[in-house]
Amino acid sequence: MQPNERQGPERPRTWTSRSIGSRFQHEIFYRLIRIGGRRLAYFMLHPVVSYYVLCRPSVRRKTHYYLRRRFPDGKSSARWVDSYRMLLKLGQVLADRASVGILGPREMRVELSGREKLLQLLGERRGLILLLSHAGSWQVALSALGFLNLPVNLLLDREPGDIDRQYFEHAGRSCPYRVIDPQGYLGGTLEMLQVLKKGEVLCLMGDRVFGSNRSYVKIDFLGAQAPFPISAFKLASAASVPVAVLFSYKTGIDRYELKIARIIRVPENLGRSGDAFRPYVSQFAAELEAFVQEHPYQFFNFYNMWQAHPASA
Amino acid sequence: MTTNEKLKIIIIQELNLEEITPEEIDDEAPLFGEGLGLDSLDAVELVVQIQKHFGVEIKDMEEGRLAFRSINTLGGFIEERRAA
Repeated sequence: MQPNERQGPERPRTWTSRSIGSRFQHEIFYRLIRIGGRRLAYFMLHPVVSYYVLCRPSVRRKTHYYLRRRFPDGKSSARWVDSYRMLLKLGQVLADRASVGILGPREMRVELSGREKLLQLLGERRGLILLLSHAGSWQVALSALGFLNLPVNLLLDREPGDIDRQYFEHAGRSCPYRVIDPQGYLGGTLEMLQVLKKGEVLCLMGDRVFGSNRSYVKIDFLGAQAPFPISAFKLASAASVPVAVLFSYKTGIDRYELKIARIIRVPENLGRSGDAFRPYVSQFAAELEAFVQEHPYQFFNFYNMWQAHPASA
Repeated sequence: MTTNEKLKIIIIQELNLEEITPEEIDDEAPLFGEGLGLDSLDAVELVVQIQKHFGVEIKDMEEGRLAFRSINTLGGFIEERRAA
């Protein structure tokens, strides 16, 4: 690919998809799951998370960007506890994901709220965007979409050196969904448009900005302006497909719930300006905010989402 | 008006490139990145506009990759499809 075939002016990325743990640490947990199941892994998470909270200030700091916004009146002592709870929940979600891959899908019960709504949207036979976020476990969400009987595509960025395994990789199975690479030609946008026009399902993350300076708008989120990507809504407008905001969150030791939080319909011909998409991005941000109010420790963006950027849309 | 001239006007008007005139767009310059400076979201808009104005659909990435190199390649692609 030629450099000039990539997207326009790139904005420095403020987040990473890489795990904070080493390959060795991951392997230990995979073995624990094989030996004693998910509960043994959960038990061992306590000392590991304690180590990260007490001895790794850089990791603790990464939780504070979000926690300061979510609990603005929280005392610093409470913030240590909040960091612990947030990292513990992340560890449990990762252990759940590995358990599903290693021990099988029966390890987890996934309840879908809004199944009829989802089937009704697919009944329109014109493609669907499932807008996910780094809240709860989007991998669990994807593992439960088999009933759709439609090809599922996912825009997935995997950085070099990312050692985190997807659930199907543990079982040695092939990927159950088609991955579109955002580093590909024109950020994968033509591929995404193509699958939507074929009536397929496209899963995108709605809470992390990737790509050019024009690819986001700033929206109020937890009391301050944060950049949110517009690409899902631009594609929805171009392909004339609905956007379903989907959250997947842990509700018990072996339970997850999938919830269709909102259906967003974006009109056609909204043009080039990011501002035209602001009302639709705002609807997503409002749903995400409602989610983190209800599930404060299941939001896993460990970077400063509110950081000022050199350019605004 | 030739297809290339019409394309330039569409790109300027629909993508709001107000600071540039059709005469300033080089037929051979890359549309994306360093050339005209369009980005991936513009590609989505361009696909929509080409269908709207010319009735030509860019169906997949490979077609897009070949067609979106420059005004000349895109104009040629549209003419070829309309003649078919």
